[in-house]
Amino acid sequence: MMRHSLSRAAVVVAVAALLEAVLSPYLTFGGISPKLAVIGVVFAVAGLQDLQAVLLGFFGGVVFDALGGGIGLFGVGALGGLLAGMLAARVGVAPRGAEVLLLAQVAAVAVAARDVIGLVAINLAGLEGPPPIEFMLAGVIPDALVNALLAYAIGSLLLKFVRVKGAM
Amino acid sequence: MGRRKSKSAGGLVALCILCVASLALFTIYVKEGDCTENGCGPLHTVQLGAAEVLRPVRAIFSVVAGPFEDTSAAVGDAFRRGDEKQLRRDALENQEFAAEASRLRQENERLRELLDGQRPPYEYAPLARVTAPVGDQFTNRVIINVGSADGVQPEKPVIVGNNTLIGRTTDVSRHTAEVMLVTDQMFAAGVRIVPPAELDRFTGEVSPENGDAVSYGEGMLSTGWEEYLGVEYVDMSAEVKKGDFVVTSGRSGDYELLFPPGLLVGTVESVSSEDYDQFKKIVVTPPTEPQDLQEVRVITGW
Repeated sequence: MMRHSLSRAAVVVAVAALLEAVLSPYLTFGGISPKLAVIGVVFAVAGLQDLQAVLLGFFGGVVFDALGGGIGLFGVGALGGLLAGMLAARVGVAPRGAEVLLLAQVAAVAVAARDVIGLVAINLAGLEGPPPIEFMLAGVIPDALVNALLAYAIGSLLLKFVRVKGAM
Repeated sequence: MGRRKSKSAGGLVALCILCVASLALFTIYVKEGDCTENGCGPLHTVQLGAAEVLRPVRAIFSVVAGPFEDTSAAVGDAFRRGDEKQLRRDALENQEFAAEASRLRQENERLRELLDGQRPPYEYAPLARVTAPVGDQFTNRVIINVGSADGVQPEKPVIVGNNTLIGRTTDVSRHTAEVMLVTDQMFAAGVRIVPPAELDRFTGEVSPENGDAVSYGEGMLSTGWEEYLGVEYVDMSAEVKKGDFVVTSGRSGDYELLFPPGLLVGTVESVSSEDYDQFKKIVVTPPTEPQDLQEVRVITGW
């Protein structure tokens, strides 16, 4: 019987946040950038209880914010991580073999949510942001799709790392 | 069943509490403002501390990413074979410019000896290396390896060469500073548009050919979501031509702006307007590409 290890999940979330903060600027093309922190949270917390999932998602987001990742506004990553954690925990159990595909879709939704949160935060902070409609079409949708592909590519590796043998 | 329900309810309660906590963090962070006036708040301090800790990590990634960036640029060049003729023409033109520049440099040196001491009295921080890019699709920023220990403060102009503005500092830690580049969508600067013949690129001084009563096109430099650098709010009556220089204006009426006057930010690439437009649409070519930046200087006083 395989179960998710909480400590391993925390390691994945923290490393993913660090990697996104450092690597993402090199891999940003227009409106698309790899959201490793979100993907890390989704795959790390998928098999955890709701409470553990939201706490870990929030933790990952705060680490990401503290490292100055993304737009650098504190709270945006935390809220994004929180939503990613909750979505991943609530999505339920997929048939064996289809869980990576399912979680990749969750990652796409979570990435889209974080992009929208980022845009709202920019506007709330009184900074110059892109026009919402254009951003949805040219920024959010391609970003979500590319990150879903990325999540699908690395998802099984992450699940393999996070899962350990033992009773649920 | 009851236990599962209570766990799920616990998760929802935690979600609500942490949502409020996230919003509180965001509000506190925005309320803290930047570190210019009352020092840094706790959340900014955390980020600055993390920037210091990540400095070596970013430097390592920068070195590792260097060859990949070069390769990517080389592949991009290979696909631009059609531009070869244009490049040859440009090269020839550049050689002519180089010859002219050489003559002007000699003349300039001679005149500078006469005017010694009349350059803008800028104070600079030590020469800084660009360590790494930071941010995501909303931003265009880099980290440089000078900080408050070198006299750098937030909201100071960052230049390359003598006089070319490439951005401004935002968050400054002890040994690093974040630079918001002119191509960042949140960057804005008051600028004016000057014909090449009337601007001394070395000093940034503008010398009108027809006396002092010259009004140049003025506006606000910013990068749109379409990712071109442009000057907004330029009056339709202003005379602007392709190839004109865009320089910081320094003042707007009675107000002193963030940058000293005369810093070059680019050249006008195109000017257009429709009948229904209120202002001219001006596209600007920046003098350097952000990915080409290696060494920069922060102007700490003027």
